[in-house]
Amino acid sequence: MKLFHRVILMLALGLLPVMALWSVLFYYSMVNEINDEADDVLGDYAELIMRRALAGKPLPAPNSGSNNSYSIVPVDEEYVNNNPSIIFYDEMTYIPEKEETEPARVLKTIFCNAQGDYFELQVATPTFERIDLLRNVAYHILALYVVIMLTMFLVISLVYYFNMRPLYRLLEWFDGYRPGEKNSTVPSESSVLEFRKLNEAARSAVDRAEHYFEQQKLFIGNASHELQTPLAVLGTRLEWLVDNTELTEQQLTEMMKMRSSLSRLVRLNKTLLLLSKIENGQFPDATDVDISAIVRDNMEIYEDIYSERSIESKVDIPSQYIVHVNDVLATTLVGNLLKNAFVHNVEGGHVNVILVDGTLTVANSGTEPLDASRIFERFYHKGSAESTGLGLALVSSICRYYNMPLEYSFADGMHHFTVCFNNK
Amino acid sequence: MKILIVEDDASLREIIERGLRSEGYVVESAANFAAADDKIAGYSYDCILLDIMLPDGNGLRLLEHIKSLKKSDHVIIISARDSLDDKVTGLDLGADDYLAKPFYMAELSARIKSVLRRSAGSVDNKIVKGNVALDLGSRRVEVDGKEVALLKKEFDILLYFMQRPGHIVDKAMLAESVWGDHIDAVDNFDFVYAQVKNLRKRLDAAGASVTIKAVYGFGYKLAEVDK
Repeated sequence: MKLFHRVILMLALGLLPVMALWSVLFYYSMVNEINDEADDVLGDYAELIMRRALAGKPLPAPNSGSNNSYSIVPVDEEYVNNNPSIIFYDEMTYIPEKEETEPARVLKTIFCNAQGDYFELQVATPTFERIDLLRNVAYHILALYVVIMLTMFLVISLVYYFNMRPLYRLLEWFDGYRPGEKNSTVPSESSVLEFRKLNEAARSAVDRAEHYFEQQKLFIGNASHELQTPLAVLGTRLEWLVDNTELTEQQLTEMMKMRSSLSRLVRLNKTLLLLSKIENGQFPDATDVDISAIVRDNMEIYEDIYSERSIESKVDIPSQYIVHVNDVLATTLVGNLLKNAFVHNVEGGHVNVILVDGTLTVANSGTEPLDASRIFERFYHKGSAESTGLGLALVSSICRYYNMPLEYSFADGMHHFTVCFNNK
Repeated sequence: MKILIVEDDASLREIIERGLRSEGYVVESAANFAAADDKIAGYSYDCILLDIMLPDGNGLRLLEHIKSLKKSDHVIIISARDSLDDKVTGLDLGADDYLAKPFYMAELSARIKSVLRRSAGSVDNKIVKGNVALDLGSRRVEVDGKEVALLKKEFDILLYFMQRPGHIVDKAMLAESVWGDHIDAVDNFDFVYAQVKNLRKRLDAAGASVTIKAVYGFGYKLAEVDK
């Protein structure tokens, strides 16, 4: 949910009870005011009638065109004691002229003449329909609510977007930010203190992250480089022993085994260096590379190397497919995919290579699906201990470098690895 | 032939020295930039092995210095940095070759020979052992002057052995050099055996005076044919 929508929603929800409370108060104060007025009029009218009645003057004709009505009824003393001397209330009265029942405000009072006789005077005047008023008030409040909301929406969106511009600039900058790559500088211009502070905080956080990132990269690179000299020493010394001393077959066999472990170590270190170089983006130069040619060359070599496993291979590629990438990376990418297909194959299995519409699919026989979320991780081994566990990590790293989608799936007893070149 | 080794790691320096001496070179060494600079100023060498990461300076500056002195010393850079940039810079500055650490002694000695051979002005760039001549430029092999047709990999294997006479080479090492990184994760080297067998057959059939001999169960060596 966007901050702006949230603010508007909160305001709308917050105003709702306020407006509801306001409409209730407004209604009651309105009713009170009207009743007050009506009661005053009724009071005056009652007084007039009482005065005339006491003075023996003629009383006004009942219902003299004013819709006001009155009645005077004699009452006894007991009634007087049990009822209040004056009372106002609402009542539905029947108006003969209109032949309908209308709401009326009624005043009932008791008076006494000189003879000590008690009379009850009831004066009524037609008044308003409460339900109508209520509906009316509700409509108007609702209309007011809508108008206020619309106005607020307009004003707030103008004010909000005008004032929040630095925030959106910063967010946009973060979207484009890639650690370790060349980034534009953190936006800093704003006259608002909070935004200046936010930009400042973002800049120092990013600077710190960049610093650590740089150190980390340097560390991996340096560690791998530092290993090269001792590895060279070990290798050359073993070689010297083998070439220059009299050794028994057993000793020589041990030496060769050491050398083979050493060359694994060397390859591992080389691959780590390559990985760190890819991730450092140290392969900027791109040329036109023929993927088909790389596939053909590699297939020839792997068919050769794995000839004794009688793996059947099928290659369906165009005679040429040109991609503009770094040639070392392209060779590494294709080579590792194909190598993977041969290394993790079964005796008498299949390797199918298809290149259609810039999508390279390498499929090989397998027994069970692999964990798709982990196969591209570094050092994720399955089965073969000889494998460095870095081949697919390299592939995935190169694909990430060029933004080429890389997918794995398992179908019909075959692992499928798919790389899309033309997405680049 | 005089060789100067500029390398800060004492153990590596010592073993390279020993290896090259046993091949009949006169070897001197320098452990840092200053010592190397002194030696280069005072003497001339046929070949300088130059580590470009020295504790007191960049070896590339030393290379510039050598070239500015207009000396004819050949330079092979040995570096832990296997990056294309360094390689290109080094070669641009006039180095004859670039060898990334870690390397085999056999590889280094082959590179030194190649550099010295080139400087000797041999245009044809041939390696000869017994009656077998191998032409690097045209990738042709001749036995007693008659061409022997070899497949690409067979040629590569023969080249590898011809560059390392007397060295014992095991299958894994051979596979790694000839097939490159492709053999990573291979646990069966029968394909090497098959190729070597074919190559040996072809050499024998052509009457070559050298052959590739099996050493115990795991390795090979280029040797004279027993008469």
